[in-house]
Amino acid sequence: MNHTEDWVIEAENLSYSYEENDRKALDGLSVRIGRGRKVAFMGGNGSGKSTFFLCLNGILRPDEGRVLIDGEPVSYTRKGLLDVRKKVGIVFQEPDNQLFSASVFQEISFGILNLGVDEETARQEVEKVIRELKITPFQNRPAHALSGGQKKQVAIADILVMHPQVMILDEPASALDTMHTKKVHELIRGLTEQGITVLMALHDIDYAWAWADEIVLMHEGKVICQGTPREVCEDENALKKAGLERPAVLRIYEKLKDKGVLSGGQIPGSMDELAEMLS
Amino acid sequence: MIVIDKLCYRSRLRYVNASEKFLYTVVTLVICVAGRSPAAAAAAFVVNGILTVRKGGIPLPRYIRLLMVPLAFLILGSAAVIVNVSEAPLDAFAFPVGDWYITGSRDSVRDGAQLWAVAFSAVSCLYFLSLNTTMTDILEVLRKLHVPALLIELMLLIYRFIFVLLETASAITTAQKSRLGNRNYRTKVRAFGSMGSALFIRAFRRANALYDAMESRCYDGTIRVLSEEQPVSRKEICYIAVFEIILLAVTIGSRVI
Repeated sequence: MNHTEDWVIEAENLSYSYEENDRKALDGLSVRIGRGRKVAFMGGNGSGKSTFFLCLNGILRPDEGRVLIDGEPVSYTRKGLLDVRKKVGIVFQEPDNQLFSASVFQEISFGILNLGVDEETARQEVEKVIRELKITPFQNRPAHALSGGQKKQVAIADILVMHPQVMILDEPASALDTMHTKKVHELIRGLTEQGITVLMALHDIDYAWAWADEIVLMHEGKVICQGTPREVCEDENALKKAGLERPAVLRIYEKLKDKGVLSGGQIPGSMDELAEMLS
Repeated sequence: MIVIDKLCYRSRLRYVNASEKFLYTVVTLVICVAGRSPAAAAAAFVVNGILTVRKGGIPLPRYIRLLMVPLAFLILGSAAVIVNVSEAPLDAFAFPVGDWYITGSRDSVRDGAQLWAVAFSAVSCLYFLSLNTTMTDILEVLRKLHVPALLIELMLLIYRFIFVLLETASAITTAQKSRLGNRNYRTKVRAFGSMGSALFIRAFRRANALYDAMESRCYDGTIRVLSEEQPVSRKEICYIAVFEIILLAVTIGSRVI
């Protein structure tokens, strides 16, 4: 990473505290995210991930520091906020807090209509995203009759239809079963292929190891470590502080190397790759 | 209410243009209530039943059970019209109670029966609409009728969050039961109270979270969504017109006779 990199998000020295709480939720947080990257945000509950995300599209205004999106500082005027929210979309952790309409179609059309496009274009975009995200089978069911995974799909469609440059997913796999987790992860892979920068809060280090270009470790409102999964997983202190263990695949790989079963080579990116190496 | 909601999503008439259904319901309702003709009321009741059960595919036992819900009110209501307490017996019936009579006149019996028929047909009209039209479609019609946007938005959010809150409430109740919260009357009352307050706090938090989520999708104070209206069918409009004319004729006819 050098200065010529195309930063889509720059956060400088952010501080934020909630009214009802003395403790700072963000405490001098600085981080920069390159365009098109897949970034995993990890850290215990209360480490400030969600607060940070809300700062990124201007829902919260940091007490100190500033946020730059696309090289431009966020302006907290009506127009400035619309602009930043158009660029940065958030899929919230709890879909029931995001879906406001009982109708899936209406729900998805909300965001894009707010961007001021005409109804015909909006209709086409909504239909397109419904097809792409495979929402068609339950498109006509009311929101309260959808499963958790289906609600999550709709929540992602809500944002995707607005064509953001950056998409933030706050623990997208929480409370989902394995099958739906897989499905959601597939969707997220599709996002990156469209060139969208994806920021994801998660707790599953094994998934972060396999998926992310970069991992950001957070603790008490600060970034304690940022780098490629390999770099971050070598920093055992930081991992420990963030309450994380090293990825299983890495631990097994190293044990196998110690025992002489494997003779070096590429560090495996996933369990599948490790299995491949062993066969 | 939840039952009705489930049924309307399964109704075969769900994808019929909502304005048509709304028009049919309102016109029939007005003719029945304003005309007060028992014959027209009976006709509307039968047609609504056929539309809902045969065409809409709502199971008959379900439909009958739903019709029973307002029955008690209707019986009490018409009883108040029919039954009098008076010192002198009236012409229809009279039961002496001491020096007084529980009694009724022929006119009041007729009025009562008429009231009963009209109310029942009105109920069947509303059931036709609510069992075959989803809430979001009804809101769409109201929007077209220029009902203030604020009211419609409130209804939209309330409708969505009734289910979210019910789910939360039932989760809390289950958690309480699993800790013997309903062991006896005292604990039951206490558990219900604490469930209520927990629900209130959660509703409040949810409202905040929802607002954040909407804001992050560029919400500016007006909820704009695309309508999903189905095309109007000329044939159905014709059927509705013919039926309403017949109903009107029956009403006027029964007045003349």
